[in-house]
Amino acid sequence: MRYILSLWILLGLVSCDKSVSESIIEPYAPAKVDETAGSWKTFILTNSTEVVVPALNSDAAYKKEVDSLKSIEVTASQKAAVLYWGAGSVLRWNEIARELAARYNIPPAANAAGVYPVPDAANPLADPKFPFANPPYTARALAYLSVAQYDALVSAWKYKYQYNRPAPSVLDPSIKPLLPISSMPAYPSEDAVVAQASYVVLLAMFPGEGPFLSEKLAEAKNAPIWAKTNVNSDVTAGANLGAAVAAKVMARAKTDGMSAANNQAIVPDLIAHAKSLGFTTVWASQESPVRPPMLPNYGAVKTWNFDRATLESIRPAIPYLPGSEAFNKDLAELQTINKTQTRDQAAIANYWADGPGSYTPPGHWHRYACEAGVEAKYSEVRMARMLAYVGTALMDAGVACWETKYFYYSPRPQQFDLKTSVGLPNFPSYTSGHSTFSFAAATVLSSLFPDRANTFMANAQQASDSRVYGLIHFRVDCSMGGKHGKAIGAFAVQKANADGAN
Amino acid sequence: MKKIFILLLSLLGFVELKAQMPHDAIYMNKKLACGALIYGNNSWTNYWENGLKRENLNIGKLTTQSATAMIAYGITRDINVIAMVPYVKTEASQGNLMGQQGFQDASVFVKAKTKAYHGITAHGVVGFSVPVTNYVPDFMPMSIGLGAKTLLVRGILSYALPKHLYVNSSIAYQARSQVKADRDAYLAGSKLYQTNQVAVPDAFDAALRLGYLKKDNQLEVFAEHFSCTKGDDIRRNDMPFLTNDMTMTTVGMYGKYQPKSIGVNARVAYVVDGQNVGQSTTVSIGLLYLFKVK
Repeated sequence: MRYILSLWILLGLVSCDKSVSESIIEPYAPAKVDETAGSWKTFILTNSTEVVVPALNSDAAYKKEVDSLKSIEVTASQKAAVLYWGAGSVLRWNEIARELAARYNIPPAANAAGVYPVPDAANPLADPKFPFANPPYTARALAYLSVAQYDALVSAWKYKYQYNRPAPSVLDPSIKPLLPISSMPAYPSEDAVVAQASYVVLLAMFPGEGPFLSEKLAEAKNAPIWAKTNVNSDVTAGANLGAAVAAKVMARAKTDGMSAANNQAIVPDLIAHAKSLGFTTVWASQESPVRPPMLPNYGAVKTWNFDRATLESIRPAIPYLPGSEAFNKDLAELQTINKTQTRDQAAIANYWADGPGSYTPPGHWHRYACEAGVEAKYSEVRMARMLAYVGTALMDAGVACWETKYFYYSPRPQQFDLKTSVGLPNFPSYTSGHSTFSFAAATVLSSLFPDRANTFMANAQQASDSRVYGLIHFRVDCSMGGKHGKAIGAFAVQKANADGAN
Repeated sequence: MKKIFILLLSLLGFVELKAQMPHDAIYMNKKLACGALIYGNNSWTNYWENGLKRENLNIGKLTTQSATAMIAYGITRDINVIAMVPYVKTEASQGNLMGQQGFQDASVFVKAKTKAYHGITAHGVVGFSVPVTNYVPDFMPMSIGLGAKTLLVRGILSYALPKHLYVNSSIAYQARSQVKADRDAYLAGSKLYQTNQVAVPDAFDAALRLGYLKKDNQLEVFAEHFSCTKGDDIRRNDMPFLTNDMTMTTVGMYGKYQPKSIGVNARVAYVVDGQNVGQSTTVSIGLLYLFKVK
């Protein structure tokens, strides 16, 4: 009997915490509906009526559509979909994008000849899959997603308050929506706007995911009908608006220079340039077989919140070269960690690693941004606005950091006989991408959520330090990258402060 | 002869380190104890990335060495208790991944048996293991263990043949707890989990052993199969992860010689097939010391 009892105790110890629980985001009514958002300044659209949303049908036709909602009886799975999307369309599509980034964030394997095939957009599901959603790629994908959502929603808000169609449950109080509703006009459907815009951008960024994205799109467009918060004409108009705005946003993407970002032909010149700066040891891939550097020309991609001359003017100077006394001090710090890395240092390095198979540091910061927006009960348009500034700041950080990395082409610590506890990225060391990304995002978030500025900045500092603890960056890479990130974030803040939303 | 306890350790790499378990049909007499110190060396160059067998020039040969302290004690001649803890060290021969080391998981097993019936004896084993240090579980394949608490239940049937030969078959189920990873998001399958909690899949194993046992000498050949009940596969060119559905089939040989209170044992095992694991070879040798308590 005693043994049976012991067995039960042991079973309890192992099994009671078996199911993995994620925090659930509940649908909420926004704290403010932001009725003037139709006049906020957009990123790509010249103004909020550049895309025309057709005038409303007759009141009688709308009444008929509203009446048709009464017969809808949702299944359990439809109700679950309503609650899922009801937490926020911008939020959910951002999550979907992060999940796709994680699934595609794996470096190609070398083939039998020891060559790394380049992912092919025309054949995205072959090995290697297209894209390799590394941090620069993911930063860009999320930036375009957020900008398309934002511009489309500003336009949607403009038309909502121009046409002022009452929500179905306002027109007919016998209709009981499944979600908390606000005073916002219903036409066009903001959920459909976001869904269609997101679908267009994500399909372009992840061309192998057509079936997956179509399924999400269909559900996202059905959800407001099932929830009885929109009728079909709201959804159709919203989808058309979202598609048209996203097409304009993607026109910029097609010409932003990304198609030349992996131009390996420039590498000899980059190395020659680094040597002319005094580097005796330049970056070299530590992988076997030797892997070409990641996106050596990403630094030439078009930025969002500052121009090329500014990018060059804010490029961090390198305070000292490998071999100098100051450099040796940084190296000694890493040599000590290499011998005596503490468990806390390893934990910080792992927490922020966001390496292969993850949504990358830009994804991590988009997640933080979403969580902050949900906590503040942001409206869809304000959520999209925040993510557009965070997202463009992150992409600008990626571009400017990559430009810096290949300007100096500096060696990694592993070229000085150090190991790593997180895995070594395959591109030059100075400056740290994590530091630049994190401080850029934290600067924007601190401006939008001043009460939480200390937390965001502390997180950015920890993300920056994590690369020293993980032994893949010298201290100077991180401190200078962090400063650079703050300057990059400040440009986004400056733009946000002038867009009419505050 | 039941005066000798024999340990069979399955030191088959990071997976198998979770599967150290007494699974023989031999018992200590009441108040007899056997202490052991065992050195294990497990290594692989090839591994199965999902079902694709490959090498990785950025790892080279991954070697896992372990030193295990173990004690077995006879509560009665039919009920034994066994406890052990290994110190584990990993190292890659190429690339720049940092080796890990530390005390891994302590485990305690209770083993009991029925009376023989027509030469067949049934045994039951219940075991529990828990990490004794806060090692990093999700830096695979360099991690020294999976970090999960484990409850194991094993059934064994042993059959005594003429001329000191025996056949022994066993099957076991391991319930494994979830693990707290250092990261706060991870992919499992195609789903992104936004939490630091990772569900390590449960596992089972089955084994068949054929051996010779006479007084102090034992020689045995065995085949073992280990498999998770579910889990995902390593993605193309990605690293392994805690959620992987690891499978392996192992063959090997075990021998022991214990003329007096001091004895030695040795074990060799080789993974012939698998999925999401290394094709490892394990060699272990142990020093045994038998003594009476009180």
